[in-house]
Amino acid sequence: MSRWIRLFLLVLTGLTACDFVGTWPQASAAADLEAVRDRGELVWGADQEGGGPHVFPDPDNPVMLRGFEVDLAAMLAEELGVLARFQQGQWDRLPLLLGRSTDCILNGIELTAQRNRDYRCSRPYYAYALQLLARRDSPLAAFEQLLTTAPRGRWQVGVLTGSAAEIFMRSRHDLAVDVIGYDGTIDSMEQLKTGVLDAAVMDDCIFTFYADRFAELRAVGRPFAGGFYTILTAHNTPQLAVAIDAGLGRMIADGRLQTLYDRWDMAGRQQILMLRDAAEIPASKPQSIWALCRETVPLLLESAAMTLFLSCISFPLAILVGLSVAIGRLHGPVSLRPLLVGYVELVRGTPLMLQLYAIFFLLPQIGLALPAIVAAILGLALNYSAYESEIYRAGLKAVSLGQFEAALSLGMTKWQALRYVLVPQAVRIVMPAVTNDFIAMFKDTSVCSVITVIELTKRYSVLALSTGRIMELALATAILYGAMSWPLSLLSHWFEHRLARSASAR
Amino acid sequence: MNGSRAVITVEALSKSRTGVPVLANICLTVAEGSVTVVVGSSGSGKSTLLRCLNGLETFDFGAVAIAGHRLSAGPHAPQLLEHVRRDVGMLFQQFNLFPHLSVIENVVLAPRVVLRLTAEESRARGLALLDRVGLRAFAEARPATLSGGQQQRVAIARALAIQPRVVLFDEPTSALDPAMSADVLDVIVDLAGSGQTMVVVTHDHDFARKAAAWVVQIDAGKIVRQGLVDEIFQPT
Repeated sequence: MSRWIRLFLLVLTGLTACDFVGTWPQASAAADLEAVRDRGELVWGADQEGGGPHVFPDPDNPVMLRGFEVDLAAMLAEELGVLARFQQGQWDRLPLLLGRSTDCILNGIELTAQRNRDYRCSRPYYAYALQLLARRDSPLAAFEQLLTTAPRGRWQVGVLTGSAAEIFMRSRHDLAVDVIGYDGTIDSMEQLKTGVLDAAVMDDCIFTFYADRFAELRAVGRPFAGGFYTILTAHNTPQLAVAIDAGLGRMIADGRLQTLYDRWDMAGRQQILMLRDAAEIPASKPQSIWALCRETVPLLLESAAMTLFLSCISFPLAILVGLSVAIGRLHGPVSLRPLLVGYVELVRGTPLMLQLYAIFFLLPQIGLALPAIVAAILGLALNYSAYESEIYRAGLKAVSLGQFEAALSLGMTKWQALRYVLVPQAVRIVMPAVTNDFIAMFKDTSVCSVITVIELTKRYSVLALSTGRIMELALATAILYGAMSWPLSLLSHWFEHRLARSASAR
Repeated sequence: MNGSRAVITVEALSKSRTGVPVLANICLTVAEGSVTVVVGSSGSGKSTLLRCLNGLETFDFGAVAIAGHRLSAGPHAPQLLEHVRRDVGMLFQQFNLFPHLSVIENVVLAPRVVLRLTAEESRARGLALLDRVGLRAFAEARPATLSGGQQQRVAIARALAIQPRVVLFDEPTSALDPAMSADVLDVIVDLAGSGQTMVVVTHDHDFARKAAAWVVQIDAGKIVRQGLVDEIFQPT
């Protein structure tokens, strides 16, 4: 009976999760044009993290934002007779802000058929093309070289998650490349610089903007696969959308947009010529549920396997390190103990995300470039080892001193006493707490998406945005998590039960 | 003493805890194959003396020579302690059986990991010892399923499995009711009869008589009297 209740709760959780992240048109608090004017503010969403030339903090005064889109938003707001207000969000999830706190998304969003279906896309305001980058010392001289493998295997190519570059590179199955998605374009340039990546693909204006900062990198070949940036609004704010289109039209016609692009050294005249002739991109047709399943279920399953893999490799490592630290603190050399205390406090006192970031992005700077999956396992194992060490320390202290003395009195060394007498008993004592931590780690694997590892939550987020089927995919993801964690907790309950039984009366 | 070789010699041993004397100027000799019973009221220091003999506690002055090893005042080297403890077994008031292991696993653990005997050798030795304490039928049981008396008999078998020259008993029957105590005492008396050198801290005068023991009486950390059992326990 309780199983059905659990299943019900699971589904309910899935639905609630959808409700929190989803954009329900009917339930949205989105303001149409009139409400924007009443409020006196046009709230526009963008990501300032590594966002040049679009939106980035002023180097001289980081509280202020700069970028051609900051200027564009101000001009657009002026067209509507209001002020512009910036709303920060993570780039690949910006559309989720629509209808909640934000009127429009204005942040280098490439116009695609799918976006045209899921949101209201404005007329184009900028024409981009993709640019392939490599290090100056790289043998990569033309895009065509990606068709055959690199000297050291498949080309490792970084892209911004959810960007046109990612969509394009992933659609080219003929290339001998592994496409690795990053949360920021700067991240992929850093990793290219340090040699973790062989190449990166991004919008040309981004590389032009950062070319001086990344002097070690160069453009490979001419820009390719061009397209347009669009401003997204929700389907239920048609008047706002019309007003934005009209505003853009006036800015293109009277030369203000050209002036703006010239001010940012972004070839204003050329831009205006392309924007005038921009053809409409048709919206893609809504997918049937079967087509959706066929397209997404294999990817979700693959990412679920990654989640399982990460936790099943990292957790035993965490236990091994944690137990060693606990034993070291209780029985090791006195000189070692402050070091171990320091380790536990440092690791427990800093967020997992920061640790992953340090391992993946900072270690390459000192010449230690780890593959993302290794960095993820290392980060999870180190982070959880600090918690496990505290649990095992408590467990070891809970075994009576008499047990230790009895073992020593039989002629055992301290280490034999630990191995055969104390640790086996401590393991039984801490089993419930350790089980709990295992399930926590299982869910914490989702943090690894910051270092390009695609596990279940990240896959959900990417698929939900690319297909617009937020609700159905959330449910499928919740069911997958449940299907994995339920057997895990049954297994650990069984193990716990077995250990408890063997320790007491049988 | 009766002139046979001394296995334990305690020379002017003193110990204090946070400035309070616990043992003062203890001098003691235990002959090979003899049974020495240490009696005294609670807190008199008799258990502490016993724990000093196998290095579970350190002492401040004096020395202990035991089973061919010598323990000096202050901390002991771990290796020395391992050698001492291979030759000196110890039994505890609370038995301290390992709850995660079966009865036979408790008995064979030290032969396996300390003496490095093969699985067959140690199992044969373990079963023989369980036979000797009358618990062979319980070889595969968990300690928690046994009575207190049975547990203490398993503990005795476990201590004997490394074939120590000396066995120390720290109040082996005080946690047991009289019926169970009797079973344990029978085993210890049987051991005494076989010539095992033993030092027993106990309240049980009957046991001292049965084992024909040398009795040492301690009070407030000092030896107040010692002699043959009949001299010490004379009816007054």
